Amino acid sequence: MALPMVIGSVGCKKFLDRKPLTATLSDINQGTLEAQSFGMYNVLTSYAGFSTLPWLDFHSIRDDDAQKGSSVTDGAEVNTEFETFQYSKDDWAPNTYWNDRYYMINLANRELYFADSLHATDAASLKNVGEARFFRAYCYLDLVRTYGEVPLINYYYTRSADGIRPKSSVSTIYAQIDSDLNIASQYLPVNWEVGGTNIYPGRLTKGAANTLWAQSYLFRQNWAQVVQKCNAVIASGQYQLADKFTDIWKDGLNGVGKNGVESIFEEQSYVGPNQTPWKGTQFGTSQNVRQGGATNAWNLGWGWNVPTQKLVTAWDNNDPRKASTVLFSGQYDGGNATGGYGATLPIYAPGSSLDQPFWNKKVYSDPQMRQFTGQIFGSGGADWINHRILRYADVILMLAEASNELGDGATAATNLEKIRNRASGNLGAGRSIVPPIAYVNQAQMRTAIKNERRWEFAMEGYRFFDLVRWGDAITELGSLGYTNRCRYYPIPQQAINISGGVLVQNPEW
Amino acid sequence: MQKSVLQGHKIWSGTLLKTLLVMKLAIIIVLATTLQVQAFPTMGQYVNLNLKQTEVKKVLKLIENDGYYRFLYNSDLKGLKNKVDFSARDLSVIESLNSLFAGTNLTYKVLDNNLIVVLSVNAADNDKIKVTGRVTGENGEALAGASVLEKGTNAGTYADNNGNFTITVESNATLVISSIGFEPQQVKVSGRSVVDVKLVPTYKKSDEVVVIGYGTASKRDLTGSIVKVSGKDIADKPNTNPIASLQGKVAGLSIVNNGTPGGSPDIRIRGTVSIGQVHPLYIVDGIFQDNIDYLNSNDIESIEVLKDASSLAIFGVKGATGVIAITTKRAKAGQLVINFNTSYGFKKLVDKIKMANSDQFNTLFAQENLNNSISNPPNYSALTANTDWVDAVTRVGKFNTNNLSISSATDKNRFSLGLGYISDEGVIIHEKLEKMLLSFSDELKVSKNIKFGINLNASRQNNPYNAGSVLDNARKVMPQISANAKSFRVANPYGGDSINANIYSGLNTAMQTSGVVNPVLEVENTWNKNINIEYRTVASIYADINFTKNLNLRSTFYADMSNVNNRTYSPLYYAYNPMTNVPYLYGSKTQVQENDNSYKKFQQDHILTYRKNFGEHGLTAMAGFTTYYSGFFNRQGISKPYTTGNALPIPDDKRFWYIGNGFQEDATSLSSSSQAEYSTVSALARILYNYKGKYLLNASLRDDASSAIQNSNRHQKFWAVGGAWELSKEKFMEKVKYINYLKLKGSIGVLGNQAAPNTGGSSNYYPFYPNLQGGSSAVFGTYIYNAARDAYKVSQDLKWETVHSSEVGVELYGFNNRLHFEANYFNRVTKDLLNYIGLAQLGLDNEVTNGGSFKNWGEEFSASWNQNLKKDLSISVSGNITFLKNKVISLAKDIPGGYISNAFMNNGSAESRSIVGQPIGSFYGYTVEGLYQSYADILGSPVASAIGAYRPGDFKFKDMNGDGKITADDRTVIGNPTPKFTYGTNVTVKYKDISVSVDMGGVYGNQVFRTWGSLESPFQRVNYPAFKINSWTGAGTSNWDPLVSQGDRFNYNGSTYNMEDGSYFRIRNVQLAYDFQSRLIAKAKMKSLKVYFNIQNAKTWKNNLGYTPEYGGSATAFGFDFGGGAIPMITTLGLNVNF
Repeated sequence: MALPMVIGSVGCKKFLDRKPLTATLSDINQGTLEAQSFGMYNVLTSYAGFSTLPWLDFHSIRDDDAQKGSSVTDGAEVNTEFETFQYSKDDWAPNTYWNDRYYMINLANRELYFADSLHATDAASLKNVGEARFFRAYCYLDLVRTYGEVPLINYYYTRSADGIRPKSSVSTIYAQIDSDLNIASQYLPVNWEVGGTNIYPGRLTKGAANTLWAQSYLFRQNWAQVVQKCNAVIASGQYQLADKFTDIWKDGLNGVGKNGVESIFEEQSYVGPNQTPWKGTQFGTSQNVRQGGATNAWNLGWGWNVPTQKLVTAWDNNDPRKASTVLFSGQYDGGNATGGYGATLPIYAPGSSLDQPFWNKKVYSDPQMRQFTGQIFGSGGADWINHRILRYADVILMLAEASNELGDGATAATNLEKIRNRASGNLGAGRSIVPPIAYVNQAQMRTAIKNERRWEFAMEGYRFFDLVRWGDAITELGSLGYTNRCRYYPIPQQAINISGGVLVQNPEW
Repeated sequence: MQKSVLQGHKIWSGTLLKTLLVMKLAIIIVLATTLQVQAFPTMGQYVNLNLKQTEVKKVLKLIENDGYYRFLYNSDLKGLKNKVDFSARDLSVIESLNSLFAGTNLTYKVLDNNLIVVLSVNAADNDKIKVTGRVTGENGEALAGASVLEKGTNAGTYADNNGNFTITVESNATLVISSIGFEPQQVKVSGRSVVDVKLVPTYKKSDEVVVIGYGTASKRDLTGSIVKVSGKDIADKPNTNPIASLQGKVAGLSIVNNGTPGGSPDIRIRGTVSIGQVHPLYIVDGIFQDNIDYLNSNDIESIEVLKDASSLAIFGVKGATGVIAITTKRAKAGQLVINFNTSYGFKKLVDKIKMANSDQFNTLFAQENLNNSISNPPNYSALTANTDWVDAVTRVGKFNTNNLSISSATDKNRFSLGLGYISDEGVIIHEKLEKMLLSFSDELKVSKNIKFGINLNASRQNNPYNAGSVLDNARKVMPQISANAKSFRVANPYGGDSINANIYSGLNTAMQTSGVVNPVLEVENTWNKNINIEYRTVASIYADINFTKNLNLRSTFYADMSNVNNRTYSPLYYAYNPMTNVPYLYGSKTQVQENDNSYKKFQQDHILTYRKNFGEHGLTAMAGFTTYYSGFFNRQGISKPYTTGNALPIPDDKRFWYIGNGFQEDATSLSSSSQAEYSTVSALARILYNYKGKYLLNASLRDDASSAIQNSNRHQKFWAVGGAWELSKEKFMEKVKYINYLKLKGSIGVLGNQAAPNTGGSSNYYPFYPNLQGGSSAVFGTYIYNAARDAYKVSQDLKWETVHSSEVGVELYGFNNRLHFEANYFNRVTKDLLNYIGLAQLGLDNEVTNGGSFKNWGEEFSASWNQNLKKDLSISVSGNITFLKNKVISLAKDIPGGYISNAFMNNGSAESRSIVGQPIGSFYGYTVEGLYQSYADILGSPVASAIGAYRPGDFKFKDMNGDGKITADDRTVIGNPTPKFTYGTNVTVKYKDISVSVDMGGVYGNQVFRTWGSLESPFQRVNYPAFKINSWTGAGTSNWDPLVSQGDRFNYNGSTYNMEDGSYFRIRNVQLAYDFQSRLIAKAKMKSLKVYFNIQNAKTWKNNLGYTPEYGGSATAFGFDFGGGAIPMITTLGLNVNF
């Protein structure tokens, strides 16, 4: 008996020395800053708060030009929460929107903490620091616009109790955004080209940081800074307006059409043949034509975020962007000229055919891609579509708006014209379609720019926040139920619950 | 004594010779010594004989024939058969005998009454006699395997299968005859050569031998709580999983059954002791198991449930959740036994949930549209069916088991072989489990002190397709959709031609898409496209050596190897659009998915046991060493056909249902694997000590080292001490005649729980080594980059959680052992709970850490009474009741919000919380006071806008904290999933050969959280439950069921509206059995034949709306009714025959 015991205890150590049979972080020599940065891009594509319905609810469906869509009975609570402004404190979409941003913020904090502890000052690490700073600023800009005062978590912590903080003022949050984008705009590269090939299409750049920074100043009406940041983007020479408006939205085989000349920052979705690999998102799927009572050839997506009658009515038919933005049930899709593919949509008839008269054409899925990816019929969807987060047209229009506010009417008009001329199909001066608008006075130019933003960015999620910052929200949205308190959304109840009372609800809620 | 001798005399004067031959010599000897034997017999007879080569016996007989003397002898005496020449002429009998016995080893003694005893000169030969006899039970049934021992010696034997035995013993010996389940009986041989014994069934379990882990012991010597259930009680119940038959049978054992064929029940012993693993450890003939799916109920000899610290500490890090020890059948001494049993029966869905029919749906849908001012709702008037979807997906299932076993035992070898076949159909269409089971055991005794043995269990199981969601899918479909197929001419999806096909309906996509499917369409087209075969072999070999009379070593090596291969083929098939009657391709892509799981487990035990009595001190000491290894290896792959060019789909032919089928496009076919292993090394020791058999002490200790924990905490020690006092052995108790046995007992100890924490959905065997977060990658254009991150953060001093367990109890037998009563109070405090804390909500890394404490405490009572009312009528009544309470004492510091939350359905509206001071897994939500009847009502009530928009017809939640407004703070604990008490009872009545046995039981005082029909996702349009027809439609129409509107998310908060009373009472099992008398079946060479009729789940009285009142779940989230979980009624007819 003694003998096996002795043998046993000698052999024990080896017998007990077992590690997981798959790689851990220490095995693959990762957990580097680069991997942590990649993790944040992953969150951007895979977390619903950034990539699908909650994002659409907060950024687009809330405004007057877009509505929930889908079918009358699907997601009915969104009508209450985002169409009629009876905001909810505890529902999936609002909770997800909040949680996902704080998740991303903490990932950024973590990466910055590691960068700091490692004294990582090599060029590659600094780029990673720039990315973390950008993502943190990106989240805080969403939060401060959506909720006003929010807790400022700009440090890494490991005990959850340490992450519970009261709200910080709006100016404190903006100060953090400035600090982050200042660093990001210094550390991020102008582009990711190696030997003339961009090996990281869609990855964050200096231009993205400056564009986001300009947006943040736009909300603070710090026009001079808007001009400065926009000019920095323009001066980098990395971007230009796409020749054709519809080219911005192309999503073809093997990534063709994505990350085009106008793209400053795009969330990346990639679906290979047979859905292999599947690295997609549901941004496109959530908005594509919903089958309703039609044949399953039209099962392209869930049909959320569709144009309202108000948008369709208000929009001049002569603006080619209208036909490129609104997809009409029961009509020919317009073919290549307006971003269509030569199909005719089933009629609008809830119950027996399509549930909505209009659809968002900016995400209209390419049939070749449906076939290629196998996202067709019963498996319908458009997971390959990139979300265009920042594009050059916004830089141009921000510059126009800020210049106008600073009294530089000429610059305003010049930049507005760039957008309008491209919208017309580059017909140049003297055209009658989307004609040039000459500067008359600041108010006239302001209105023109507001309208231009409405048409240029329709269905892209700019309008609600534009209306709020312009002070036009009551006018445009009041009939839908919008009141002043609706500029801010209530903080999710679940976040308040877990804070144990440290976090308090927005005063008007 | 004198009298009996005289009786004997009369008998043998009748049939003299025969009686002589079988005469009990010893009686005579006793007589000779006790009666003052006269040495002066009458010498009246003279012998005249002349014989050549005649047996001595024959000579004696001839002398007897002369009439006067009678001889008594043991016919085994040597010399009686010797052939001799004998001649006598007018010799006296005495002279004749002197002459006859001269030169032999025979002598004689003359007794009174002209009786002469023939003896051997060798005194020892005179004392040994051969005794034969038959051991039977009360009703004369043979008790095969009954042991027959000569008291005070090691000599003994077993009764054969007819109950017959033969033993050679001292003529004045006392035989001790015992058989499991019967009172042992002592019989004085008193010289008889035939001793028939009828044993009385014992209701006295105090002497029962029970499995205690690494050994067995008499229950009498133990201080803990172990309940033994006989395999007989399980074998004839229609449950593929043997444990399911224990429901309601054992105090402290909670079983929530599962209606799926082969499905594992939710089992907890004495409460919920962990956040992680709560199911008990199974030990099958020594090997540690997580489940016993591979066992044949018919191979089980007994099941022991070990509940308290002194029984469990020996299992160390796996002991905390309790142990269910299973002993499989072994050959019993005796002849060849062949047993065959078979049962056949039917399963029927009972307690169906009630969904809206088409009229009700129309009414409710119209109401909902009206409520939301929807003027253009989808028009579905073209749909005219009125389908009961639950009926459409269910059927009467058939249940069939067949088992054949052969066993044989000799002194040297014990062998048994069993074969089983089970076919178990579920109530869901096409759901069927098939199992083939093989068991084999053999034990070879190579010498008096050395035995070797092997046990083997093997099984092959064809698992049913996964029907887990079918019932839930069925309730969702609107009744206007037809469940029937129609014939269409369609293009052959596999080729260019066209074919006639029976096609099932798709859904009305304008009404139902997300989350709703036609279950009949999917099941009918895919059920036979799944091949799921499980093989499992569990084997052990052992050596058992007695070094001395007191010291034994048993070494056992175990192996458990299994493989589950699951292949699913996705076929091409059509559905038709119910609105347009146009077929469309529903299954539009073929693929084959293969999932292959291998499990390898190895265990070795080396156990040294020392047993000795030192005067009045009895000691059993055990020390042992054991190692365990468990490995899991998974491989999976998906094979997809080409999608371009002249691509062919993968054919609908089993030949090609493999990953590499020749049709796959390699570039898009995927494969992956996952694997894990862990090991433990343990040392253990135990002492069972008693003084005078009435003061008992049990102590055990175990040290476990586990590979899953880092070095600093690798070894953890667990211990227990128990004491007991058998009062009934004290003098002062002797007067209390109606108490036969009374024991007070108590134990205390620390047990461990190696609960692999569930980290993000799967059990993690390496909590200390975080793996990588799955699926994390960044995409840039078409380039993919891995983004590796730890899946969670781990605390540096991680260790296994411990359960500090104590109990006190009393055990009593009384009224001639007719009454058995046992009561225990137990208290179990779990410390250092192993937590996986999800902090993603806070954007933090999830973490695995120790922290927090649970307490489970309660009382168990069990009692039984057995009585023979008349000669042929007996009754036994037993019952048990367990009162259980539990409470969260504390929780890990880092848990967000300070409570463990498990939330389901629609943004987590169905929530259970484990909150400090509250029961584990308490249901949490609002309290419904009624419905707002009008806007005036709203204005007159506390403002509830903090929860969301609301209007008349919505819930009026109660202001629980009295702050004058309804906010999230008004949510409280609204229900407890743990019953206040659970109870079970059995009544068995036997009349002659007929017996009726009824098992009943239930639970009281818990709540069920119903989620269906009230907390559906806003993205699903599902059929209404029938009770919604009473929904609010205007002031005063209802004060409970809110207005129908999926858009009113205010009503989709979890509340008391979802709480249902979980109390129920069920007639769990009724069995009527008939045992044929042996005389009736002897001609068919049968030894016994029993036929029985059994109804399981005959009737349930419950208060909730679901299919069943019982719902299991995870450790901290259980008792949710998600709209499935039907428990069928099973009616079987069976027969059991022994040859």
